[in-house]
Amino acid sequence: MTDVLGSGAISYTPSIIADQLITGINSDQAQQATLEQELSSGDVINQPSDNPAGAADLLQLNATLARTQQYAANATDGTAWLSLGNATMNQIMSALQQAQQTVLSVSGAQLANEPGALQGLATQVSSIRQALINLANTTYGGQAIFSGTGNVTQAYDQNGNYVGGGSAPTRTVAPGVQVAVGVTGGQVFGSGTTGLLGTTGVLAQIVQDLQTGTTASLNNVQNADAQALSTAITQVSDQAAEMGANYQRMQAFAQQATNSQQVLQGQISGIDSTNVAQVSTQLTEAQQSYQSALWATSQLSQDSLVQFLS
Amino acid sequence: MGDLALNIAASGLNAQQTAMDTISENLTNANTPGYISEKVLLTVNAGGDLLGVGDGVRVVGVAQNGDGLLATNAQQSQGVLAQSTSLQQVLQGAQAVFPEPSSSGISADLSTFWQSWDAISQDPSNPAPRTAVVDLAQSLASDFQQASQQLSNLQSNAQAQVASSVSSANTMLQQVATLNGQITTTEGSGAPANALIDQRNQILNQLATTIGAVGVAQPNGTMNVDVGGVTLVQNTWSDTVTTTGGAGDMGLVAKASGVTLATSSGSVAGQLAAINQYLPAYQSQLDATANDLATTVNTQLAAGYTATGASGSGYPLFQGSGAAGLSVNSAIVGNPQLIAASSTGTLPDASNDGGNAQAMAELYNSPTGPDVKYQSLIQGLGSQVQAVNNQVQAQTSVANASQENLQSIEGVNTNDEMVQMLTYQQAYQASAKLVSTVDTMMQSLIQAS
Repeated sequence: MTDVLGSGAISYTPSIIADQLITGINSDQAQQATLEQELSSGDVINQPSDNPAGAADLLQLNATLARTQQYAANATDGTAWLSLGNATMNQIMSALQQAQQTVLSVSGAQLANEPGALQGLATQVSSIRQALINLANTTYGGQAIFSGTGNVTQAYDQNGNYVGGGSAPTRTVAPGVQVAVGVTGGQVFGSGTTGLLGTTGVLAQIVQDLQTGTTASLNNVQNADAQALSTAITQVSDQAAEMGANYQRMQAFAQQATNSQQVLQGQISGIDSTNVAQVSTQLTEAQQSYQSALWATSQLSQDSLVQFLS
Repeated sequence: MGDLALNIAASGLNAQQTAMDTISENLTNANTPGYISEKVLLTVNAGGDLLGVGDGVRVVGVAQNGDGLLATNAQQSQGVLAQSTSLQQVLQGAQAVFPEPSSSGISADLSTFWQSWDAISQDPSNPAPRTAVVDLAQSLASDFQQASQQLSNLQSNAQAQVASSVSSANTMLQQVATLNGQITTTEGSGAPANALIDQRNQILNQLATTIGAVGVAQPNGTMNVDVGGVTLVQNTWSDTVTTTGGAGDMGLVAKASGVTLATSSGSVAGQLAAINQYLPAYQSQLDATANDLATTVNTQLAAGYTATGASGSGYPLFQGSGAAGLSVNSAIVGNPQLIAASSTGTLPDASNDGGNAQAMAELYNSPTGPDVKYQSLIQGLGSQVQAVNNQVQAQTSVANASQENLQSIEGVNTNDEMVQMLTYQQAYQASAKLVSTVDTMMQSLIQAS
């Protein structure tokens, strides 16, 4: 039997007090559970309702991070291609310079009557041509690096004809940015029979002129052929420079992708990472309040007028 | 003297005993839900003595400490809380369908899927990366199918719950009508019907939390039951509630009148909101996301060429419509070379070109792509769960407060009862003492004569 004592005052029956204690214990426990989840997972956002806008941001940032990691992987792959390409270009250049040395060593009048020596020089140039064909067919992971997108296994056939495609493959290294991972054989050596490596190309021409061995043909070697060879070397060296520039770009983009990853990871942990110190403190507070609620509950049944009536 | 004094003392003994019975009843029912504490009503018996001495004390009745307004408040706040709580359960279930943010959700799978296209472009003639793309596409399709299936499971579970709540509500409506009859009969015979009223209160509380019913007390002691303004119980007559429609348009109808019951409280109201509004919305957003995935990927493929130089427009990767129907083209599963990864149809380049695959990988954040739509689905779902969580929290406080107010009037306060017990005990002892005193007086009179 109860009365309202004055306006607004509640008369506390044992069941009200019990309900309040239960509510208190439950809410303390829920608070503790939330904080413990944050600590154990290390994440503030464990489900979308923890922070809806933050969760959507996280999904987007994670997608961008994954894309950036792919850019870095693409750039790493591209760097490997270009690195092999540059090394091959250096070998090609030194082979061509060797051929140039040979051509320069030809002095028409003195060698005209020495077919043996001429044949030796011709063999030398011929083997340089063969070496160049092999270098032009260099592969990375089974893919010929000078064949563009046209042919997987080889860029030149044994006769020195270009059998690759029209453009070099590219790698996507930043949003909308694609960098070529090589140059095509056509750009380096030209294509067809008249290309540098072709059956009527300059190297083949030099071999033929040396084998002919006449003063006129030797003059040809010293003038027209030397001229053509020098043009071809310029062409190769231009392409080598292009490749070197792409290598630099590829490395710069790889670096940029790595930097972006760090920035993105910073943003992600800013949204999602638990502040361990703060949450631990909050957890301690929650535990204390939980214990107080438990203690209060243990006192519930003890104090009543019943105890004092005997 | 004599007779009268003994009679008065006897009426006192009886009255105090009844009062003690009431206290005993209160104390034993201190924790009984729906119990309304009782108090004994005593009045002076009009005297039969010429001098005006009264005729002792009389028990008029045992009244309940009820407060109709507070009881209605408490019922309604419990009903509103039940509405939010049942909606919260369904929405949290829907949130669990999308385990985000995580490394295993649809979002992460989409991300992996997009990146896998760059792997094709790094080695277009190698079948392994193409097979990987097909595998990832299949796992995406099954992600969407599963999420869709789980949402429809939630939908059918919620509908089953509504059906079972309605059937138990119908039983309770009938019980209220029966109790109404019993209460009027009992009270008509002059006996108090407190226990029956307690029982009816308990049922009304359950009806309030189930279908948001409101009890309207009538002057004759009966209780009408309204749901959404429609009377379902009047005196001893009761109507039954039936469900109509399905997902999107499920509703409650009063059988007798055929009127739709617009209830905004009670657990059924929360489930109906989920069935008609929230779950269909999530399902359609999920379907739209799946359709966007198919459209985005297939459109890009149509711009490319297969390894044999055929146009990609004939070889879409995704088929079907909606999340449940999303599947991977079996022709491509059988022959991944049919993926239009090349940006040129000229042979032999088509077999070794990855230009279109590179373009595909860049679609990961396309404004018309699936990722953006999926992110907004997650954000919307998260906001709604957060809102309903807050609602439940606020309404729990309101319901607790109104329950406390009601309890402070209707509940049993042990300390109060103890004080009353002492008072009645002393009064009883005094009456008993009176009897023995009158006895002594009578004896002394007898001995003297």
